[in-house]
Amino acid sequence: MAVHSERVQTRSPKEAKTAGAATEPAAATADGTPKNARPAGGASLLSRSTPYLLILPATLATAALLGWPLVKTGLISFQNLNRRQLIQHLTEWNGFDNYTAQLSSSEFWHTAGRSVAFTLLNVFLIMAGGTLVGLLLNRLGKGMRLFLSFGLIMAWAMPIVASTTVYTWLFDQQYGVVNWFLDKLGWHGMADYNWFGSQLSTFFVIVLLIVWGSIPFVAFNMYAGLTTIPAELYEAARMDGAGAFKIFTAVVFPSLRPFFLATTFLEVIWVFKCFTQVYAMNFGGPQRLTETLPVYAFVEGFGNQHYGTGAAIAVLTIVMLGALMAYYFRIILKQEDEL
Amino acid sequence: MKRQLIAAVGVAAMVVGLAACGSDAKKDDGASSGGAKDYNGKTLNAWFMDGSAPQAWQDGVKAEFEKQFPGAKLNIQIQKWDGIGQKVTTALSEGSVDVLEIGNTQTAGYAATGGLADLTGAKADLGGSDWAPNLNESAVLDGKQYAAPWYFTNRVVIYNKELWTKAGIAAPPKTLDEFYADLEKLKGTPGVNNALYLPGQEWYTYFGLVTDAGGKIAKQDGGKWVGNLSSPEAKAAFATYQKLQSYSNAPKDKDEATPQQSTLFPKGDIGAMIGLGWEAPAPKDMPADKVGFFPLPGKTADKPSSVFLGGSNLAVAEASKNQDLAKGFLKIALSDKFEGQLAASGLIPNKTSLNSQVTGDFAKAALPASANGAVTPNVASWANVENNPNPIKDFLAAALQGGDYDSLAKKYDDEIGKRLAQKQ
Repeated sequence: MAVHSERVQTRSPKEAKTAGAATEPAAATADGTPKNARPAGGASLLSRSTPYLLILPATLATAALLGWPLVKTGLISFQNLNRRQLIQHLTEWNGFDNYTAQLSSSEFWHTAGRSVAFTLLNVFLIMAGGTLVGLLLNRLGKGMRLFLSFGLIMAWAMPIVASTTVYTWLFDQQYGVVNWFLDKLGWHGMADYNWFGSQLSTFFVIVLLIVWGSIPFVAFNMYAGLTTIPAELYEAARMDGAGAFKIFTAVVFPSLRPFFLATTFLEVIWVFKCFTQVYAMNFGGPQRLTETLPVYAFVEGFGNQHYGTGAAIAVLTIVMLGALMAYYFRIILKQEDEL
Repeated sequence: MKRQLIAAVGVAAMVVGLAACGSDAKKDDGASSGGAKDYNGKTLNAWFMDGSAPQAWQDGVKAEFEKQFPGAKLNIQIQKWDGIGQKVTTALSEGSVDVLEIGNTQTAGYAATGGLADLTGAKADLGGSDWAPNLNESAVLDGKQYAAPWYFTNRVVIYNKELWTKAGIAAPPKTLDEFYADLEKLKGTPGVNNALYLPGQEWYTYFGLVTDAGGKIAKQDGGKWVGNLSSPEAKAAFATYQKLQSYSNAPKDKDEATPQQSTLFPKGDIGAMIGLGWEAPAPKDMPADKVGFFPLPGKTADKPSSVFLGGSNLAVAEASKNQDLAKGFLKIALSDKFEGQLAASGLIPNKTSLNSQVTGDFAKAALPASANGAVTPNVASWANVENNPNPIKDFLAAALQGGDYDSLAKKYDDEIGKRLAQKQ
């Protein structure tokens, strides 16, 4: 609001008249026909502030929906906030106690290590699977491509809680279709197999769900990227005697490097902070062995009602994710230097 | 913000207006003229847990309350046990609940948060001088009365008479060994899927067995509470529990509420299950003459196995703006009339003088076992142990699935001790 009123004040009356009447169209033409819309030399205040005005709603929404909770989480992480403090509305600052407690807890480091391994495995599978499906989309005929795209969109569009519920039923011990199918295949030991009884088998189902749900995004991006590679490049490579694998490593991968980089890191973010699938599948069980950092933060914070501790774990999660992402930002910055 | 508020108020007004259209216009006029004390527009929010208060009891209390406090409304909300801790915390913090049912194992924890009103002064008026002392214990912390005991109950074996007859069993067992033999017979009977439905994380039954073996799940060690699963008594109890569980196809890593065992029993392929009165099938799901009850037998025929003494207290929220109404409500709810009604539905009332009103096959089975009942330690931090993931449940699942008892017991004793030591 402050920015808005400032703009009105500093604007001359004449400009205000024209601008106030047509902020939207002006913005549109600035984009469509740059030469006419952007006045040479002494640009009007409006056209100079247009980018900021356009970005304002997004900034405000981000600040309100992400920034504020982030600040609150940060503040709570320095407090001893349990049931008693919450009910009586007490604020008890305790400095870095929550952090030192976590950083010296083997449980936290176990969970952190598990989270990193979980993320790496998922991202690897998602990228490999998504790339292959993307290549397939590029090669298929029109009908089959439409069919496959439809299937991918369905998987992508399915609400996460719904798909998690479906998976828990697919892998249900008594009524699950997976066990039934394995039994019919002759693998009778699997007829009554409890997928959620051990750490690895639970993770197997969770990873399958996440990979299945994330492949469409990578595949579509990959396909979109592939359509930008001119056919001559493939032809030239084939003339030089390159096989499919060589074409991928020598033509496709170098052309789509930015795509691979951006997508990989997006997936890292998504998988690392992934909560719903892991929690809804088996609540971090059995015996808390499938808790990743976000689930751990939730269980400690909300389940055990130690909100300060939960907030500290959440902040540490963000820091760890930030460290993982630092590599990406470094590459991005380096690339910009090169350009 | 302001505009939104106005809009919200407007919408609320419209909703109220619509509701008013539906209600009897005459009654509205009468209420607005007012009685001696005007409770007009006041609403008392009461939370009861799923399966606690029978509908007839709720209706009766509501009618009585609205008669005694003209103009006031009683808004009864039924809450699920799952995730109740966080809900209660939020409600006590916001003051959105006035009177609430709190499980006896959780009362001390909430009393220590300062969220419950001190009822010491009102105890006599609520009939507190006649409350059974052992039942009142959980409602008291540091000498102050933070809740009023409401009812108690314990689990019994609920069995399908038809299947038992089919298996050729004449009478309910009197000892554990007889029970095992009966279960063995049931197992071989066609149409029986579970001789005994006992999910692996049914820790209340395990708790009873530990008590029966003379042990405790947690003990005080030099002024500090620690887990006690490593004790020989707990280990012996686990052996019994494991033996019972072996007659079940129920998942070892789930509790009795996932899925609700009460929804499975009426299907007719479960020989027996261990449950509370409300978990027994309703007559519409299974004819009452097909359902029988007996206490879980002990090692010898002279007394049944010990049980976990479950129960609930009624508390008033400290943040409630209707303290007088809340206490007035408690007085009605805890009156001999309504406590008697609870007793008649098979729950154990808070006064021994009302025990004679306990009726029903369930209660007849439950009462003898309740004499050997035990509760969890009455300390503020016990509620932490029951927070999900409950270490006792995780322990049972892991041990039943073939884990080494001793190392698991040590691991989960540490976790229980850690939770009991958590600061508030």
